[in-house]
Amino acid sequence: MSIGLEDVLHVAKLAELAVRESELSRLVDQMNRIVDYVATLDQVPADGTAQGFVAGPDAVVLREDVEAAVPLAFPPSAMAPEFAQGFFLVPRHGAMEDQ
Amino acid sequence: MTATAGQRGIGATTARETAKRLADAASLNATLSWSEELLDAEGARVDGMNKPGPLAGIPIALKDNIVTVEQPTTCGSRILEGYVSPYNATVVERLRAAGALIAAKTNLDEFAMGSSTEHSAFGRVKNPLDPSRVPGGSSGGSAALVAAGVVPVALGSETGGSVRQPASFCGVVGVKPSYGRVSRYGLVAFGSSLDCISVFGRTVDDAAPVLSTISGPDALDATTVARPPLGLPKALPNLAGMTFGLPKEYFPPDLDAGVAAALRRTTEMIKQLGGSVREVSLPNSVYAVPTYYIIAPAEAAANLARYDGVRYGQRRVGPEGDIRALYRTTRGEGFGEEVRRRILVGTYVLSAGYYDAYYRKAQRVRALIAEDFRRVFQDVDLLLTPTTPTPAFKAGEKTEDPVAMYLADVFVCSMSLAGLPALSLPVGRSNGLPIGAQIVAPYFEEERMLSAARILEQNTDALAEVR
Repeated sequence: MSIGLEDVLHVAKLAELAVRESELSRLVDQMNRIVDYVATLDQVPADGTAQGFVAGPDAVVLREDVEAAVPLAFPPSAMAPEFAQGFFLVPRHGAMEDQ
Repeated sequence: MTATAGQRGIGATTARETAKRLADAASLNATLSWSEELLDAEGARVDGMNKPGPLAGIPIALKDNIVTVEQPTTCGSRILEGYVSPYNATVVERLRAAGALIAAKTNLDEFAMGSSTEHSAFGRVKNPLDPSRVPGGSSGGSAALVAAGVVPVALGSETGGSVRQPASFCGVVGVKPSYGRVSRYGLVAFGSSLDCISVFGRTVDDAAPVLSTISGPDALDATTVARPPLGLPKALPNLAGMTFGLPKEYFPPDLDAGVAAALRRTTEMIKQLGGSVREVSLPNSVYAVPTYYIIAPAEAAANLARYDGVRYGQRRVGPEGDIRALYRTTRGEGFGEEVRRRILVGTYVLSAGYYDAYYRKAQRVRALIAEDFRRVFQDVDLLLTPTTPTPAFKAGEKTEDPVAMYLADVFVCSMSLAGLPALSLPVGRSNGLPIGAQIVAPYFEEERMLSAARILEQNTDALAEVR
């Protein structure tokens, strides 16, 4: 399976990642190398009956649906420039598009 | 009275002495943040403890993807430069309660993605034994500090071998616990089904008390298992009754001659100590690296979506000035090359049309890899393999070819995929470079693994050249 320039640009858009034009050709080469390599899994006869993976012998434990207190070293108000009445103040919706 | 770690010889020391050692080791580029003031404050805190804990006065360095209130947490990335967490990771709280001095935050491959610690935004880390070579990665800063004698113990994190591989390259002990044994609350997520906080030590006896301290359930991490904290390894008189499996897939004909000789010597030592060895097969381990390089980037692509300049990250406004441009520019400029590449690969394998061919297939192969281990552990107590196919390689040797770099983890990532405990033990040198032997145990049998490693360590001259 070959990855082309358009594929890389499409995936970069999905990943919300700006890619510089100068690095595109190298990225196409490297992604092809990686995807060709991981495609060696095609050799494994793992059909749809294979069990899904669960780490370890312990079953997943369902815990009580209670909120655990998280002790913070400084309050939420210290995490943003503006904070009032329990909320972070952010620019008006659409304000950035207006600028 | 229980012996404290200091009494057991881990190396309790003063904050000032630790600061001097950190300053003397600056040329390694192994640290991202530390200060004399913080070390003095740590020393005063420990001195003021009513009941000094089992790690009283032990300086411990932390990989810079473990969040701390006192120091920034950058993950080796420009995108998090200057970020300070509002809480400590659970492991940090447990170490502090046990009396440890938090000495420094250590350099790493950006967001723990790499095998050489050349992918840090803050420069590469040098191997203390040969500065022209890499220390391994991604926890290379922690490994280098322990190998240089700056700290006796350091924490790293494993997603696909990022503690065992640098431990092997730097000639120190590196222990990965079972998945779920140690809380990851406060470990910056990379691959959530794989990530494990792990421990470096100069010796097994250095690492074990620290692993014991940080292990055990945590209400803040739902993936921790409901098992009590680990005990310390037993002082075994010999290895009688213990069978080691040697998986043939981990001893290929082209294995580095020095690595092969060191493993032969270790195998002979097991026999001399009364243990037995047996060849076993883990046929699907040959697919571990391609499986890992589908699953880990897929999970990384999801986990790193939060670094968008709004929720986290140094914000960059894009040329178009809208919110999407902000996301893309922040991420495009904030992440380094390897992280961007993995996000793209992860997004590709999860995208419509390719999900079944790559991600779903990789999950099935992962189950086969884990099943191989379950099967062989019905017949053997532990597994012995090389940790790495070669000793530490030269800086720059593999940076142009991502797949060549990925193959540096060929013997370590299968255990991460299976969630098993494993460690790397120094067992000799080849042309002056350390070689590690890997010991792997069944789920939650860390004490067996550490006990066996301890007696092997005591009977092996890890500084001796092997041929």
